Amino acid sequence: MDVRIIHFYPDLMSLYGSRANVLALKRYLQHLDCDVTVESVTPGGGVDISRGDFFYMGAGTERGARAAMADLVRFGEPLKAAALDCAAMLFAGTAMDLLGKTVRETDGSSYEGLGLASFTTTHGKQRIVGDVYGHTDLYPEAVVGFMNKCGTVSGVETPLLTELSLGFGNEKERGPEGFHWKNVFASQLTGPLLVKNPKLLETVAAAIYARRGKPLPVDRPVDRWAEKAYAVTQEQLRLRSQHK
Amino acid sequence: MRTFLAIAVCKLGHALGKLIGKGSSMPGKFALKICPDILRRLELPQHIIAVTGSNGKTSTVEMIAAILRADGKTVVYNEEGSNQIEGVATLVLTRATLGGKVKADVLLIESDERYAARTFQFFHPTEFVVTNLYRDQLTRNGHPEWVYDSILPALHAETELILNADDPLSSCFAQGQHKVKWFGLDRCSISTDSPTGVYHDGAYCPVCHAPMEYGYVHYNHIGAYRCTKCGHKKPSTDYTVTAVDLEGATVTIDGEQTVSLAFRSIYNIYNILASYAACRECGVSGETAAAVLGNYLLKNGRMQTFHLGAHHGTLLTSKHENSIAYDTNLRYIAAWEQECVVLVIVDAVSRKYFTSETSWLWDIDFDQLNVPHVKRIVLAGRYCNDLAERFSYTDLENWSVVPDIAAAASELKNNGGEELFVITCFSDRDKLLSRVEKEA
Repeated sequence: MDVRIIHFYPDLMSLYGSRANVLALKRYLQHLDCDVTVESVTPGGGVDISRGDFFYMGAGTERGARAAMADLVRFGEPLKAAALDCAAMLFAGTAMDLLGKTVRETDGSSYEGLGLASFTTTHGKQRIVGDVYGHTDLYPEAVVGFMNKCGTVSGVETPLLTELSLGFGNEKERGPEGFHWKNVFASQLTGPLLVKNPKLLETVAAAIYARRGKPLPVDRPVDRWAEKAYAVTQEQLRLRSQHK
Repeated sequence: MRTFLAIAVCKLGHALGKLIGKGSSMPGKFALKICPDILRRLELPQHIIAVTGSNGKTSTVEMIAAILRADGKTVVYNEEGSNQIEGVATLVLTRATLGGKVKADVLLIESDERYAARTFQFFHPTEFVVTNLYRDQLTRNGHPEWVYDSILPALHAETELILNADDPLSSCFAQGQHKVKWFGLDRCSISTDSPTGVYHDGAYCPVCHAPMEYGYVHYNHIGAYRCTKCGHKKPSTDYTVTAVDLEGATVTIDGEQTVSLAFRSIYNIYNILASYAACRECGVSGETAAAVLGNYLLKNGRMQTFHLGAHHGTLLTSKHENSIAYDTNLRYIAAWEQECVVLVIVDAVSRKYFTSETSWLWDIDFDQLNVPHVKRIVLAGRYCNDLAERFSYTDLENWSVVPDIAAAASELKNNGGEELFVITCFSDRDKLLSRVEKEA
């Protein structure tokens, strides 16, 4: 199967090892014998959205995200059409903000997001940082990660993480986190969340297959280092969450 | 009266703290409780030099102090490294008379970049050195632009800024400031044509976000940048490394002062230059500064040599969560021309706070170790699996995992006699150093 990954603004939105999500997905799909192409989009550069199987944007600074949005607006309608058509997407960190209606910044100014979802983001002057331990309705294993943001997101009706026992969610401590609709995945968990969560990687890959009308092959790759790393972090954060 | 009381309490607290071996910030904290604006009420030295930035603060401050003292100046500085307002208060008040006069020629302050604005709300430096700003401890710092915004309120119009001309972000501090001196490196033997590393924070202009171009680069995105749209570019420099001879271990400053390098690292060169610039601005001659800096051995213990079995070893302290610190030390190993082995330890991500965050490993260019003289690499510590996962995405194949640090040390002790480089952080280095024979 040919799979085309569209990576938006890999230089501009590259904080916290965001690029690792693309590397992990590419390798996972290659181990499933997919022929994977990664196409990077730079500001002003062209891309045919209709040919994409997976759309990705990582975390950037707040100013970087605004600059990204100023360019991404060109792809607004085709991206929304792709999402409606069940294309798989992951928008991580500040990139998640851009899927919503508006982003209000600390100086009081605001700008419009893609409007793919109805939530709004409000940036504040405090940094919200910390480890996250939670659960999603998509699979039973815990989700681990790290939050590094300065804003709250309100109006999400379908979160990706339905329950947190450690960390700050969209709007509050231990509240629901992220956004999930059809095959659109979004989370303000930063960095390589597909590396840190092998099950989430599998879920995203399954979404790509599903759009092609295929189930994920039964014989799937196991990344032993990622699995071991997940086990250590999962245990550390589980214990941490119990002592909080 | 409150001034007197705050100073007296601080002095007493400091004396007691010394007796029981307690930290350096508590006396200042008490003093600030008694008199919140105590730092405004003091008679401070003529020169107040502050140093902040992502990397090189401690080394730069240490070298500035050494030069100034060699020049006959009395210097008060936070050698204990407590670099937030409470630590600065302890430092200043313990050296003040009960009447509030700090008897010294220079007050030298290493300032935490996120708390600089708080420290300098009551007094401002006469010279403010910013070494650089890039990805460092993002779990507490957010990101470099966030830190930039935190430092900005600390910069007073009357303060002379001493800025790194080669850093596209921290150079923006010059906007709207009248008194600025620049330090930087000319194109030299170590320069490359384009940015290095696995991410590119110099790709877009920090002012207008248009693409940037580079004439040359010294490391990562530090070099001669130029925005293609708004004109933000490397300014001409007041203090310049005009030549670097890494083989001969010397640098030339301003075409006239030759400084011998005790440690052949690009970091060291920038720290030397920043120290040189700050001291020259305080009236020290180039000859005096260069003489002190020549072969200056840092006392902050970031490099430690040792023996482990038949290995001679060098610990290259690389702050976890700081990819450029890692990159620079990896570059040092890559430039080493003899056979070596490398041990990388990530056990506690931080010594100050709990976190399992390892995303910073993806910002490090471990492929720099893909050179023939690096014979093998051992990965150890609680987060060795995260390291292994990261290494599985490099072209390197000569790595292995030994989770237990003691077992890794033992395995190395019993095998081979090559130079051993250990890359790890303050939080983890004693776990290895307790198992080796340290050199003096």
